[in-house]
Formats: sequence, C-alpha cells, structure tokens
Amino acid sequence: MFAMFIDEKACRGCQLCLDVCPTKCFVFNEETKKSVVARLGNCIACMSCDYLCPSGAISHQDHHVVKNFYRNIHFSQRMEKFL
Amino acid sequence: MEEILKKRRTLQETMNFMAALSAGIEPILGRGANSMTMSAGRNLGRKFSENAKHTDDLLQAIDEVRNILVANHCLWGFEPFKPEEQAEMITTDEKGNRQIFIVFRDCMIRQALFRFGHPQKGSLCNMMYGFFAGALESIMGKKATLDIKHAGENACLKVLTVEA
Repeated sequence: MFAMFIDEKACRGCQLCLDVCPTKCFVFNEETKKSVVARLGNCIACMSCDYLCPSGAISHQDHHVVKNFYRNIHFSQRMEKFL
Repeated sequence: MEEILKKRRTLQETMNFMAALSAGIEPILGRGANSMTMSAGRNLGRKFSENAKHTDDLLQAIDEVRNILVANHCLWGFEPFKPEEQAEMITTDEKGNRQIFIVFRDCMIRQALFRFGHPQKGSLCNMMYGFFAGALESIMGKKATLDIKHAGENACLKVLTVEA
C-alpha cells in the first residue's frame, strides 16, 4: 500500500517540501515546527520532496518507480564512445 | 527478443540525441525553441489523430489520445488526477474552459533529459505538449493546451485546458 513518511527527528522544519509539492500534500505544524503529511491521497509520487529534503527525512513506500530503460548494459556499451 | 532490444537501443540513442539537440538549440533560439518544437509536436499530434474517433467528452478524448499513442507504439503513460479537495475530476474556469490534471509517469523524454543532466520543462517537453494538444484538438475540435504545473523526478503534473 502506498505510503509516505517523514522522519520527525530528521525534519528541520525548512518547509522546502511544502514549497515543492505541486499537490499540497504537506502542512507545517507550528507547534512542533515540523512538516507533516496531511493529504496522502494527493501524492502523485513525483518524488521531488524526497530528492529535495536536505536532511533526507521524507520517504515513500510502494510507489510507482519510473521505468529506467537507460540502465541497459547494451545501451551503455554503445554510449561509451560519446562519453 | 533480440529485435526488440535492438529497437529499444535505437530509440534510446535517438532520444538522447534529441535531448542534446534541444539543449543545444534552446540557448540560441531562446523562447523560439519551445514554440518551434511545440508546433512540430502539434502537427504530429494532428497527423496521428486524423482517423481518431471524434468526441466532446473530455475523458473519452483523453482515452482516445492514449489509444493513438499505443497504436503508434509510443510508450508515454498518463492518467487523469483528481486532488482530494476537488469535487469533480473536470473543473471549469471563469472563462468556461474545461480543465483536468494529468499525471505523466513513465516518460522517455524525462529519462532522456536526466541521462545527461538536461533541465526539464524545455523544448522536448513542449514537443510532447504540442503532440497531446494537437491530438486532442483533432478529436474534440477545440483548442487545447497542456501546461506543465510540476516537472518532478519520478512524475510530472500537467493541466489540460480545453477551450469552451
């Protein structure tokens, strides 16, 4: 089942996740000064929050991972000549 | 199997070439690069959807675009998206235009851009915007735009607007 977690100990309260999320999944808890997941159903698993979080506090579970068809050994061998 | 792998390798090389080309023309042409690629994509979308089923139903039209992509062996998965706070999948703005959010997940353009560190929302993204809009215009007979609301690492969120 799809889930998103914020490690409370790791979160610094920078609110970058609130800024980057296009579907407003997060809210800022003024008491604890930390981000919390408010609307999980809105998450499109773009993973921008995950990549952007400076303390790596955000993680996702059971999300769709984009098909990485560039990690292909034959392709990599052919591309070596350009690198 | 070998034939499929060969085709995939060719596609990947083409996409990388396209990404490099688009990254190269953007600094020279500026905003014109986006217009140029969007126009090319729009023409392609219209051409591909010449024989598509015409409909005024937006969701059916989106399905028809998906069918066109599948029929032309284009792997570009997308799905309509409804935010929790929104009552209906399709909303109407103050001008009477219909709008819908669409999430794009497996996108070969994103993969091609990331492969060599090119930025998103560039001319290649605009080419696919043009393709989608062109195909939808043919199917619905109305002007359509597909604005990039968010370009993420694993998925992109776009807003499709069909003029009234």
